[in-house]
Amino acid sequence: MTARSLPGRLLDEILSGRGVWPAVPAIVVLTVVAVIPFFILLSLGFSDIVVSRGVIVSQELSLRHLATALADPLYHTTFQRSLVLALTTTVLCALLGFPVAYLFLIGTGWVRRAILVLTIAPILTSGIVRTYSWIVILGGRGVVNSLLLDLGLISTPLRIINTQWAVVIGMVQIHLPIMILPLIAVMSRHDRRLDEASANLGASRLGTLRHVVLPLSIGGLGTGAALVFTLSYTTFVVPQLLGGGNYLNAATMIYEQVVYSLEWSKGAVTAMLLMASCLAVLAAITWATNLGTAWTRAARR
Amino acid sequence: MTSVATQREGPARVVEIRGARKRFANLTVLDECSLTAQEGEILTLLGSSGCGKTTLLRCIAGFLTPDGGEILIDGRDTVPVPVNRRPVGVVFQSYALFPHLTVAQNVAYGLKMRRVARSEIGERVEKALATVSLTGFEDRYPSQLSGGQQQRVAIARVLVLAPRVLLLDEPFNALDAKLRGTMQVELRQLIKRLGITAIFVTHDQEEALTMSDRIAIMRAGRIEQLGTPEDVFDRPATAYVADFVGASNFIDATATGGAIALPDGQRVGASADGPVTVMVRPHNLAVTQVVSNEGWRGAIGSRRHVGALMEYEVDLAEGRRLRVAALRDTGTAALGVGDQVRLSVRDPAACTVYPRS
Repeated sequence: MTARSLPGRLLDEILSGRGVWPAVPAIVVLTVVAVIPFFILLSLGFSDIVVSRGVIVSQELSLRHLATALADPLYHTTFQRSLVLALTTTVLCALLGFPVAYLFLIGTGWVRRAILVLTIAPILTSGIVRTYSWIVILGGRGVVNSLLLDLGLISTPLRIINTQWAVVIGMVQIHLPIMILPLIAVMSRHDRRLDEASANLGASRLGTLRHVVLPLSIGGLGTGAALVFTLSYTTFVVPQLLGGGNYLNAATMIYEQVVYSLEWSKGAVTAMLLMASCLAVLAAITWATNLGTAWTRAARR
Repeated sequence: MTSVATQREGPARVVEIRGARKRFANLTVLDECSLTAQEGEILTLLGSSGCGKTTLLRCIAGFLTPDGGEILIDGRDTVPVPVNRRPVGVVFQSYALFPHLTVAQNVAYGLKMRRVARSEIGERVEKALATVSLTGFEDRYPSQLSGGQQQRVAIARVLVLAPRVLLLDEPFNALDAKLRGTMQVELRQLIKRLGITAIFVTHDQEEALTMSDRIAIMRAGRIEQLGTPEDVFDRPATAYVADFVGASNFIDATATGGAIALPDGQRVGASADGPVTVMVRPHNLAVTQVVSNEGWRGAIGSRRHVGALMEYEVDLAEGRRLRVAALRDTGTAALGVGDQVRLSVRDPAACTVYPRS
């Protein structure tokens, strides 16, 4: 081997795929699009800014915006609404997603393929398109109301669209696949002989589901819950479109502060509060998941 | 339906299989299979893979429903009984221990499902773990146990329910060779001490000979022979059994006048005249260095040390090979590859004869 120049050796090292090199492109991209903007956001939130003709003319360190936000009752109700909406969505997705994943477990060939296609297909469609289709379905002259009117079950159209119910329905439908996929991943690793052993030991199907399948799915439920919560807690498209503009959650609040009222510092503080509270709930979900999967970390002999 | 009749004769028939049939797609796995396991015996289903032994076991456990026939336990047909209500305990090949439950919780599982009182559960779990010498391991998870310990948990988990029948599906497969031997002896002693009726599936003939009171040799979904280990080894009913259990040599011959002349000049009795196959075990053949041109002759083709035995392959003049096993003592060890030898059958009465078509 002949000695190579420094750039040559560096190239060899990079192409070797060892150490941190494979992650470098992602680190660079994330630094530019996430880390740097995050610190800009931080600096905006914690300063008093004077903007004149679109240019920042003075910036001083201040906790004023944070103090105002924490004292503002509108913040309390908005964050509470966001939290309740996201938790409701997460719980409903788990309740609706788990049976689908269980069907995947006990199903054969075409049942499994059908579940996979029906789960993945909606993800390939834009969230905005799916949200608009809910307007078509839930609207005053939409599919649901037409059907109920034709059947004579109601005499005047139900007001579904632009209510919190429309928001919840939309949120659950949009995020359900995100819950089902990690559950399916767990189910496809599930050892069916455990179910046979359970039945042999006297358990009914429900007993096996409750005492074997469910506890072994906690990892998937935890992953699904973390993803669904994060996405539904921070989304603004669905509340905006299905809530009819008068449904304010934390994400729509940020949107309004930044885009309409141009209060960047206020928006930055709201965004930070959103992120901090989101991380707190994620920590709780992770803690609960770890509690339920303690056996996977039992010390090996 | 005939439970009264079955009680009258001999030991109680705990498991009785009558003409069980099972097909998967267009493959017949069980073909009019019939079998009886008696009170307190260890019955082994022995056969190569695909012979239907595991399918039969799964039918008894209720994981599969036979297409036809009856499976009686204590004289009652179990086919309509759901899997979780059969008095049958299964020890799985991979043990199928619940990974998220501790040893004690695994053993308590069946009692909990049967809604046994909490105080009684603790007592029975403790006793079951003591039976398999796992006291002190209550709070470990299965992943923290060795293969042998996991197997004992699997056994305790079903024994705690006092099943009428214990079904074991190749339970030693996951163990290394050395541990396997010890566990076979231990498990046999345990089952005998508790007096449980056990049906045991294996493809390993030595395991079957060690473990069983009786062995059912299965072939293509049927029972080829059912008998004691001595029966199937010394008196194999068919050439298939002779070939499957133990090493064997097959020699073509013709029976005339009620007797067969063996190539070494000795004679064995035959029930009918015609072409036959004579089976001789390797240890029933003797080889000696050639001193004359007379008799049944061959040449040593290869030799192999197997523990206390020396195994020779002897090439016969007509091109066939025979296996000969000799104790490694005086004289025989001197034979080398290429040596001309004379063959003889030690005990003609120990040969078995099968009609040849």
